[in-house]
Amino acid sequence: MSDKLKEIINKQSDSQNVDMNQLDDVVQLVGFVIGDEEYAIPILSIQEIIKPFSWTRVPQVPKYVLGVFNLRGAVIPLIDLRAKFGLQTKKQSDETRFIVMRHEDDVAGFVIDRLTMAIRIKKTNIGPPPDTIDSDDTIIDGVGKQEDKIITILKVNKLLERDF
Amino acid sequence: MDEFQEILQDFLIESFELVEKLDEDLVELENNPEDLELLNGIFRVAHTVKGASSFLNFDVLTHLTHHMEDVLNKARHGELIITPDIMDVVLESIDLMKALLETIRDTSADAGIDVAACVVRLDKISGGDGEVQTPVATAPVEEAPVVEEVVEPAIEEDDIDYDNMSPDDLEAEIEKLLQERQAEDKAKRQAKIAAGEEVLAAPPSPEEVEESPAVEPTPAAAPTPPPAPTPVKKAEEPKAAAPAKRAPATVEQTIRVDVKRLDHLMNLIGELVLAKNRLIKINDDVEERYEGEEFLEELNQVVSIVSLVTTDLQIAVMKTRMLPIGKVFNKFPRMIRDLSRELNKKIELEISGEETELDKSIVEEIGDPLVHIIRNSCDHGVETPEERVAKGKDETGVIGLKAYNEGNQIVIQIDDDGKGLDTDMLKNKSLEKGIITEKEADSMSDKEAFGLIFKPGFSTAAAVTNVSGRGVGMDVVKTNIEKLNGIIDIDSEINVGTSMKLKIPLTLAIIQALLVGVQEEYYAIPLASVLETVRISKEEIYTVEGKSVMRLREEVLSLVHIGDIFEVERILDASEHAYVVVLGLGTSKLGLIVDTLVGQEEIVIKSLGDYLKGIEGVAGATIRGDGGVTLIVDVVALMSMAREVKATTMIEASSEASSNFEKTKASDYTVMIVDDSKTDRTIMRKALEPMGITLVEATDGQEALNILKSGDYNFDGMLVDIEMPRMDGYTLATEIKKYNKYKNLPLIAVTSRTGKSDRMRGVESGMVEYITKPYSADYLSSVVVRNINFKAEFL
Repeated sequence: MSDKLKEIINKQSDSQNVDMNQLDDVVQLVGFVIGDEEYAIPILSIQEIIKPFSWTRVPQVPKYVLGVFNLRGAVIPLIDLRAKFGLQTKKQSDETRFIVMRHEDDVAGFVIDRLTMAIRIKKTNIGPPPDTIDSDDTIIDGVGKQEDKIITILKVNKLLERDF
Repeated sequence: MDEFQEILQDFLIESFELVEKLDEDLVELENNPEDLELLNGIFRVAHTVKGASSFLNFDVLTHLTHHMEDVLNKARHGELIITPDIMDVVLESIDLMKALLETIRDTSADAGIDVAACVVRLDKISGGDGEVQTPVATAPVEEAPVVEEVVEPAIEEDDIDYDNMSPDDLEAEIEKLLQERQAEDKAKRQAKIAAGEEVLAAPPSPEEVEESPAVEPTPAAAPTPPPAPTPVKKAEEPKAAAPAKRAPATVEQTIRVDVKRLDHLMNLIGELVLAKNRLIKINDDVEERYEGEEFLEELNQVVSIVSLVTTDLQIAVMKTRMLPIGKVFNKFPRMIRDLSRELNKKIELEISGEETELDKSIVEEIGDPLVHIIRNSCDHGVETPEERVAKGKDETGVIGLKAYNEGNQIVIQIDDDGKGLDTDMLKNKSLEKGIITEKEADSMSDKEAFGLIFKPGFSTAAAVTNVSGRGVGMDVVKTNIEKLNGIIDIDSEINVGTSMKLKIPLTLAIIQALLVGVQEEYYAIPLASVLETVRISKEEIYTVEGKSVMRLREEVLSLVHIGDIFEVERILDASEHAYVVVLGLGTSKLGLIVDTLVGQEEIVIKSLGDYLKGIEGVAGATIRGDGGVTLIVDVVALMSMAREVKATTMIEASSEASSNFEKTKASDYTVMIVDDSKTDRTIMRKALEPMGITLVEATDGQEALNILKSGDYNFDGMLVDIEMPRMDGYTLATEIKKYNKYKNLPLIAVTSRTGKSDRMRGVESGMVEYITKPYSADYLSSVVVRNINFKAEFL
């Protein structure tokens, strides 16, 4: 009896270890679309995803900084990723979302065209950014390969960096 | 923290307090050399510091204070008269003592400061009675302990219950042990242990202090609360803890709280204030919608209670952070004394209102500016005694330092009866230094000329002295005061004197603001900088050298449009009238043109965060009652930005660049149908569909406006019903006509209202045609064709 119990326990812990190993190898991302491209950021750097609401314009900032909005008492900057990536601005639709990202103490909201899904991707399937991009200065963290498509993974700390 | 550290902290807190008081007393003493009470007090301070520092083995400090004590003791017994020269030396030694204490605070040791020279001078005063004193004082401590009644027949037992002693008894005990220490080495060691225990056992809170005399029925003269062992910065030390023995008989109950906790509390209150604003707004909305309902009364009551309590709470928390401004004023008697000796002038300082309270953060910031202003008054304001006599004034100049409350502000007023500011001289000096141009000098008012003293690089002193003349000080004053959202007001009359008023808000986190609107945006302006608001018409604005100005009573006020500062897009048509918010900062004024005045509101200042920091003209943001974010105007920055802005004020936005592109087919024409009845919409649709134009439907005015604003369509015309829920046709028309872009958009009223007055209203609100129901389909389409310039070839 006790042997059997032991066996079961061992089995369980084995399977848990396997799980843990798998977790180590897998990155969880949230995918979203801007223009025609699909991008992703690590799920842990997302504070929340909210439906669009009104914001207040701030003067003397680049066009992609739409302004500030009130997130439950905190005043947070709002950045339009379409404008930041040099795309034509588009009217907000039902699918438009604000993704509030956090890196250390920096928080900002980003306007995206639509969410796709939460993605689990093996680390081995993530390649470095293309060689044509200067690796220090880019906001691209890597390129995730999936069966039918590739996803550009962005660096959250770079997105939250003030560059004006 | 080990025991020694803890004792050390207590020692430092106590000593700094004592020293702070000392300065004031010493200057007072110089004026009243006979005041025995005062002398005793000062002597006690030196004595206490000496005693404590010898316990802690700060030999240099002990050495210095010991010699000070000698001099003071002589004076106390009438063997020495305090003259200004003696006072100089004593004050010097106190400065040294402060420096030593600071070194101890920073390094826990009193090395590195040479006191020998000062000690020699002190010795000379005390008669140089030849006693060679070693750093560790071996000389007999003066026989007469300070407070007579504490000398009780010595209790020889070693096992005294220190915990149950009243503070006074404790001191008596220390005194006794001190003497014993000098008697024999063994006793000294004993005392050391005892002292350690005592401080540790010192009651940590005032409640216990209160208790202790009850437990011990000794006729304690006046128990003073001993410093609690928590090491907190000295700045927040309540005044009540000042340890003079002649403290009032009632013990003020105090508790030391970490400033961080108070700051946190203040932040929470800030959130509450925002929530309150929101609640009030909701209440107003509900009131409007459910007028006459019974529950409204109840809701009203709750809202007013909540808002009342919130306000009280805010004031209460603000009060916990308040410190008397006396904290800052304390150091000035000493400064004036030093300055007057240095400058060979006779100056008296009159302080009043030192009990006026200010937020801690402001008290900390206000010190430096005041030092500069007072120095300035001493150096440039008050004349030499000879000059004063020649002018028929009293030989002694008077500088008044006054603090008082005025509304939501604290006013600190610095008056002197000196020579006053000479506007011509100020202008000439500024011209010389290239601070202003000749033209500016000519057009300057007196007030503006006074303001010149705040310009960087300005100085009227012929030579740079120790005291002033570098042209830096007053510039610092201005920036510091402006940082606190304060303003400076100068008044001066030649040979009568100068009066400077610093007006500072009570607190920094929550302020009163004036909310203004421009186009569809709102901004908050700190009310402290707003002098007045005026309603003007466009004709009152003149352009002078590319700048807009207006005449405000006797003055010419330069104007700037808030939209030019904040790059506001002009989408709404400017109305005939505008409001000018007159901003005042120090002596400069500026008129800020806004479209609407919303009102006064209490706002909580929030930072824009790292990402957006440093935007010129924006001091921060606040969250309004409706949950939206409103930016707070930085008046200081705005003033300087205004100089750069060209006078585009009130010039109409350049011709509409709306894309009136070529219509190539019938469906390029778009018409909106606004009607709440489905049937009516269908009838209109049926009438217009044969033309092949694009039709968009809206069910009421609000929806129509939203569709229009969204910019998804370029409309060529609108058919508007009058009777509609939410927003009726007239209101819709008025709203639409506010936008430059839609000025020429034809609005056609389609209604069953046929009265003449209805038609008039329609015309007034900007409708071009008035169709009465019922109508024929042909008639409707012909009216539409006419108004949207429908090209005939598409028919």
